[in-house]
Amino acid sequence: MRKAGKIVMRAIWLLVMGVFSILMLYPFLFSLMAALNTKTEFSNMGDLFPWPETPQFGNFSVIFTSSGLRPLINTFLRVGWYTIIVCIMAILVGYVMARYNFRGKKIFLGIIIGTQVIPGVLTLIPTFVMVANIPLVGGNDIFGNGGQGLINSPLMLYLPLGWGYLMWVFLFMQSMKSLTPAFEEAAEMDGCGFFRTMFQIVLPMQLPIVAVIAVNVALNTWNDWMTPFMYINDMQESTLPAYIGMLTAQLQQFGTKDYPRVFALSCVAIVPPFLIFLFLQKYIIQGIASAGVKG
Amino acid sequence: MTKTAKAPKIMTKSKREARRAYCIILPFFIYIALWGLIPLVYGLYLGLTEYNGLASSPKFVGFKNYVDFFTTGDYLTLLWRQFWIGGICLLFNTVVSFIVGLALNVNSKARGFFRTSVYVPSIAAVSITSAIFVALLEVNGGINGFLKQIGQPTITWNYSQFWMVFWVVVYFLWRSLGPAAIIWLGGLQSIDPTLYEAADVDGASFAQKVRYITIPGLKFVASYIILTGIVGAMQMFDIIMFITKGNPYGKTDVLMYRIYRDGVVNFNMGMAGAESTILGIVTIIFAIIYFKVVLRKED
Repeated sequence: MRKAGKIVMRAIWLLVMGVFSILMLYPFLFSLMAALNTKTEFSNMGDLFPWPETPQFGNFSVIFTSSGLRPLINTFLRVGWYTIIVCIMAILVGYVMARYNFRGKKIFLGIIIGTQVIPGVLTLIPTFVMVANIPLVGGNDIFGNGGQGLINSPLMLYLPLGWGYLMWVFLFMQSMKSLTPAFEEAAEMDGCGFFRTMFQIVLPMQLPIVAVIAVNVALNTWNDWMTPFMYINDMQESTLPAYIGMLTAQLQQFGTKDYPRVFALSCVAIVPPFLIFLFLQKYIIQGIASAGVKG
Repeated sequence: MTKTAKAPKIMTKSKREARRAYCIILPFFIYIALWGLIPLVYGLYLGLTEYNGLASSPKFVGFKNYVDFFTTGDYLTLLWRQFWIGGICLLFNTVVSFIVGLALNVNSKARGFFRTSVYVPSIAAVSITSAIFVALLEVNGGINGFLKQIGQPTITWNYSQFWMVFWVVVYFLWRSLGPAAIIWLGGLQSIDPTLYEAADVDGASFAQKVRYITIPGLKFVASYIILTGIVGAMQMFDIIMFITKGNPYGKTDVLMYRIYRDGVVNFNMGMAGAESTILGIVTIIFAIIYFKVVLRKED
């Protein structure tokens, strides 16, 4: 009797979770189908499953024109740059914070933890104004007046580095603390320099946590459409998610709405994060879990 | 010759380490402070100025912007709306993600698939996926098409505040459920299973086990989800911007969206600075209140 009850429970669980999973995945299915429509076909259809008469794979060719390709390349460059720079920062600063004793260490630790709770709204607009007033760039004079500073400059894809990234320093520091310093001490005895110790001794042992940091930073950077959206008007200089955001915002205006084009671009923009997720899932999950448990 | 024959500098190990530590830490911290600390302080000043258009220079006007904020009424409405729309999003997300977390805490081969499909929506940016909802909510879009098929009257979604908020909440849930559910799941799995076995031996019911073992064991995870949730919900505007544009007639407009428009679109930077400061402080106050309530409960 009890066993039969268990089987029934299990069947209900499978059914409910199955339906729920399909509901969660449905919007992706919708955008994939919609991307294969022609513009007029889609706007006349009004169907939850807009399967086209003849699939138009041509919509995806937008990505290979210059207006799609440049943002795509920009996104990859931006993701690569932030992943490398944040990993270097996390490894070096995290190592020093975990291993060395020096004056003011507590203050630095306080900064790392304390700044994580400052709401982003407090810096969003002031940063924008500050960027517009950086002296001697973008037509600004030495006092930062007259021009537009770095607004609309492609450099804004690479320069900002906010407090949020210090979280990864904290993660590496914690991981470093759970590792015995014996290996590094032995290496130092043998006359191994700082950077060589870092790359040949520490890094190989800490590879899993570096992977967690790299994967999460890459994913977050890919999805950070806000910064390019705010700072760069020329979509050629922007990133793909910001470009799609711009197109989505235009959908609310009157006039012809080219949904299939937006969805075709969206489908392309989802692929890299989706592949990262598919193959490196455990690192992402570990990143969230450690943020939740340690943070 | 003899007086200062430069004594060879022998640094102790700790001195050498300290010097190296500063050399590594300071450049990063100073650079981050440029992007964090300066705007934070500058934002406080910005709120006290009148500053229209990037070409002009800020004019000090004291607390005028703050007085406007609290006397015009517009801004207070937006703040209140930020609070309740964000609050509904957060409430549903916390509850539903907990249920999903519970449902995922089952040993099964299918669990991996379920976990993936719950999580996947959150790996795509809001800018990439919100167009799907915009398309579905068109007057002759997918959902109305479905209503027609089952013989129901169609609804003009963006003429109704209720439905717009409803879909904002649905989108928020769809996108934010996964990470929260995974964190809940992590919390659930960190509870010592022998506690449940002991409860089984004592003949405890499912509800009792949830009440006396599961909930106390999840206190920390819960406070993390809710704290980060408060900060996120009080600054949520991207969903509003893409899905409702504040419509109908600005009835779903929220303060954060106004800050964005004042600052980046209309270049009314002084007011945007004041609004940001107020919203930031309100957010911190909510977080502190929540923290105090949780801490008091534990005593």
